[in-house]
Amino acid sequence: MGRAIVITSGKGGVGKTTTTANLGAALAQLGHSVVLVDADIGLRNLDVVMGLENRIVYHVVDAIRGKCSLQKALIKDRRMDNLWLLPASQTDDKDAVTPDEMRSLIFELKTTHDFVLIDCPAGIEQGFKNAIAGADEAVVVATPEVSSIRDADRVVGLLAAADIPSRLIVNRISAHLVKRGDMLSQSDVIEILALEMLGAIPLDDQVIATTNKGVPAVLENKCLAAKEFIRIAKKLAGHEVEAEQIGFFTRIGRALGLSATPA
Amino acid sequence: MWNGIKNLLSGKSTRDVAKGRLHLVLAHDRSGLEGGRLQEMRAEIAAVIAKYVPIDASAVEIQIETRSRQTQLTVSSAIQPRNV
Repeated sequence: MGRAIVITSGKGGVGKTTTTANLGAALAQLGHSVVLVDADIGLRNLDVVMGLENRIVYHVVDAIRGKCSLQKALIKDRRMDNLWLLPASQTDDKDAVTPDEMRSLIFELKTTHDFVLIDCPAGIEQGFKNAIAGADEAVVVATPEVSSIRDADRVVGLLAAADIPSRLIVNRISAHLVKRGDMLSQSDVIEILALEMLGAIPLDDQVIATTNKGVPAVLENKCLAAKEFIRIAKKLAGHEVEAEQIGFFTRIGRALGLSATPA
Repeated sequence: MWNGIKNLLSGKSTRDVAKGRLHLVLAHDRSGLEGGRLQEMRAEIAAVIAKYVPIDASAVEIQIETRSRQTQLTVSSAIQPRNV
């Protein structure tokens, strides 16, 4: 039986979909069978971030309504044999499905895959309730900003009330800004939210560039953000995560304030 | 650079300001208590304390703070010495 993990944040635009795509691709690269579920019904985006938008025939609402089998609604990623996407419907409303229907759908996916990653819509209303219904655990994504952390705290409270344990990913950290005293550091965020931390993704131009092409960064290059996504995926899967190797030149770079690695 | 100098002059970085604001906002969010209501409560509590001990009601301080998911409400007030 696989694990269902919901990627959520409360606030929109903090990187939930990018995180879902990259963690999913990284877990698949590690050899696990992974299905990504876009739970943002009416405003789907995981398909374009994965570059699979032209292959959609059926979607999650079709599968729930019995218009097609669940297997038929899954789109297989071209780049990997063990990565699948269950797209959201773009024409239906958020209340087209119920938490109970989502719960049994996620359960069915867990019987055939090691990981079911659920991309949650922004907000804490019906879409959120549907997205967390079948989840065993949660990954909360927050950027180091007051508004994002406030919303993350609210979501963590709601998840705790639903008995879903959460862990944190801090997204778009700029070591340069933290050093200058103009950005909350990852330890500030942990202190405020009092959550277990999975990792911190550095602000990285490469993520924007690969997303433009519909390719998760972890599949294309070894930029700093991609490396951190891979490290987090290993941690999620329970692989041994080696302590960060700091080379001689990185050390010098850091001393000079050149490195983009989070402080 | 300029921000660095500004921080030096004011003694507080925007990072510290953000942290302070978050501690306060989260305490309010978690307790479901709006900032304005807190001040109303302060005035009421001060009036109650003043019924029992001599205090300067305007100097009563109320603070709501969150550490490690625990939210604490603190009311502090100096008691004026009795004139014997």
